[in-house]
Amino acid sequence: MNAALDWNHMSTLRTALRDFYDDYGTCLDDWNLEGWVGFFTDDCHYRVISHENKQANLPLGLIYCMNKNMLLDRVTAIRETTMYEPRMLRHFISGVHINSIEDDVIRAQANFMVTEALSDQEPTVNLVGQYQDIIIRTEEGFKLQYRDCVYDNYRIRNSLIIPV
Amino acid sequence: MSCTHENKPDVIEVPITINRRWPEEGHTRIPAWIYTDPAVYKKEMDIFFAGDTWNYVGLECEVPEVGSYKRQWIGDRPVIMVRNEEGEINVIENRCAHKGAQICWQNTGKVKDFTCPYHQWNYDLDGNLQGIPFRRGALGKGGMPKDFDLKKFGITRLRTVNRGGSIWATFSETAPDFETYCGEEVLAEIDHMLPGKKLRLLGYSRQLIPSNWKMYLENLKDPYHATLLHSFYITFGLWRADSKSECIPTGGGAHSVMVSHNEGKKKTEATAEMERFRDDLQILDAETVTPRAEFNRGRVGGAWVFPAAQFGIQANSLKTRHVIPRGPDAHELVFTYYGYEDDDEDMTRLRLKHANLLGPAGFVSMDDSEMLKQVQTGIAGYPESVSVVEMGGRDTEPADYMVSEVLIRAFYQYYREAMGL
Amino acid sequence: MTDTLNWVAVGAPAEISPDTGTLRVVVEGEAVCLYKLEDGSIHATQDRCSHGNASLAEGYIEDGMIECPLHQGCFDIRTGEAVSAPCKVPIRVYPIKIENDVIYVSGESA
Repeated sequence: MNAALDWNHMSTLRTALRDFYDDYGTCLDDWNLEGWVGFFTDDCHYRVISHENKQANLPLGLIYCMNKNMLLDRVTAIRETTMYEPRMLRHFISGVHINSIEDDVIRAQANFMVTEALSDQEPTVNLVGQYQDIIIRTEEGFKLQYRDCVYDNYRIRNSLIIPV
Repeated sequence: MSCTHENKPDVIEVPITINRRWPEEGHTRIPAWIYTDPAVYKKEMDIFFAGDTWNYVGLECEVPEVGSYKRQWIGDRPVIMVRNEEGEINVIENRCAHKGAQICWQNTGKVKDFTCPYHQWNYDLDGNLQGIPFRRGALGKGGMPKDFDLKKFGITRLRTVNRGGSIWATFSETAPDFETYCGEEVLAEIDHMLPGKKLRLLGYSRQLIPSNWKMYLENLKDPYHATLLHSFYITFGLWRADSKSECIPTGGGAHSVMVSHNEGKKKTEATAEMERFRDDLQILDAETVTPRAEFNRGRVGGAWVFPAAQFGIQANSLKTRHVIPRGPDAHELVFTYYGYEDDDEDMTRLRLKHANLLGPAGFVSMDDSEMLKQVQTGIAGYPESVSVVEMGGRDTEPADYMVSEVLIRAFYQYYREAMGL
Repeated sequence: MTDTLNWVAVGAPAEISPDTGTLRVVVEGEAVCLYKLEDGSIHATQDRCSHGNASLAEGYIEDGMIECPLHQGCFDIRTGEAVSAPCKVPIRVYPIKIENDVIYVSGESA
């Protein structure tokens, strides 16, 4: 295959993926939790897991959704039951990188940083880490089949109210 | 096992003066300065964490091989849990006997022995000092004095106990044996969760809660708030105020055992009263809130093992909770989740699913961490203010209902005496 | 018997320090420690302690043992066996011969 074509293809794909990652971040920044669910396939895996656990092959996640229903349940729980102080959360996503492509299955990763601003405190860096993803190219665009949010933080600053 | 070195733990020679007076009503009142006063904090660290108490350190499965170690804290004192050559688990101070540097700089690891990077003092897995560079000097000059006895300068090793795979340690030579310390009721809860089966570690959850450590202790001794704050429970009918339950203060009030019996989602008078019960809300993934029968059907609860550990079961989620004070106004809360080696895939999946209720993103626990921050912020400006804990009465006797603050009253009865307040 | 070992000249016995009884040399890129014991015999082992990053040539000889200067673990000079904590892994012993007042060390195992 023509090398120049390859380059264009990768570059285009990466740009499209960056848009996808940014749209995801914006969705959560807007607290559009219902929209967040739409980024995933039905048989999805979504987990917020520490680097400590992931590196040691320990499966425990702070948030661990094993299918789309669990994503929906989490949204319901946050909307209807969780008691929390209001805050602004903001995603900064960079370093989007494609690790492999096989037909419509893309393995990719990106860095994330989420800042948190509480009503009586200055913004802080709340969570930092890496998305480790399996993304499927579907007719409706990209969908996350697998997302591990592997955070670098040794510990969470108090609470993690919405997904990452 | 006892401390075998002359380099014994610090003996507190300088008495800590606390010029405060507890409200005259006694244990039905909690003065806010106990959450903010640095002298109170210092005394607590000494008498509760370095005194005649047994402190949770970890689970056996966290250090599976010879030389495996885990870094931990007892109060504000850094320690190391390590498996030695004989397969026993030691708890030693994370502090070089030379100049005090931390020996372990990582949460977990595996070593053949311990070498402090600063001057390369080398210790075996029991903390014995094995060798010192240039002990004989270099090029015929220097060296340690001839009478320098390595045996006197090891890393202090704490008395430890392994109960069903849980590791406990004490700095004190005079603390009673572990069974006596815990008492029957607490021991039964620990043994219930750790029946001697081989454990499988599932992972950790860590968070820094911006409140005094005793606020978390109180929160776990406070079934009164469960159905009022934790809408998740009440919305999905998981815990009702009229559930059968027990609140048992033990160990003079330091420990407590709390048990509640879930009975599934049913509408009764009590639930109908609760504003937030919602018939129209269902969990789509039923497994998330439906445990597989494992021990006693529908029994939730556990034990607070003073000073800083909680053993409890939440559906199929087995975990220990450990509190590490980080100054008067913050504490680290660590959940260690585990299963058994003979768990099938389904059980492991359930254990991981049910963990969604707990921890910093937990459906139930999130409310607590958010609330505790508010309490600390609220009282910080009013250290002379006083809380009132009279729900259920003014006594400190065991109760067979849940809507009670008796465990908190019993705790402060113990606390006042231990602290001389 | 045919001598098939690859011998490397490393110096004269007199070069081994009378104070420490040791001399550090390099044989085919490997650091080797030479020893002269009380009975006059000459031996050679790897210079790097198997326990830590230390030169055994800076150590202390007593009763046919070399004590590592870092943590005082000992090895038998003749056999390379680790004889005291914290040393556990034996050190490599090199065959030597002396011809015309020159010590030769073989980089291959005996």
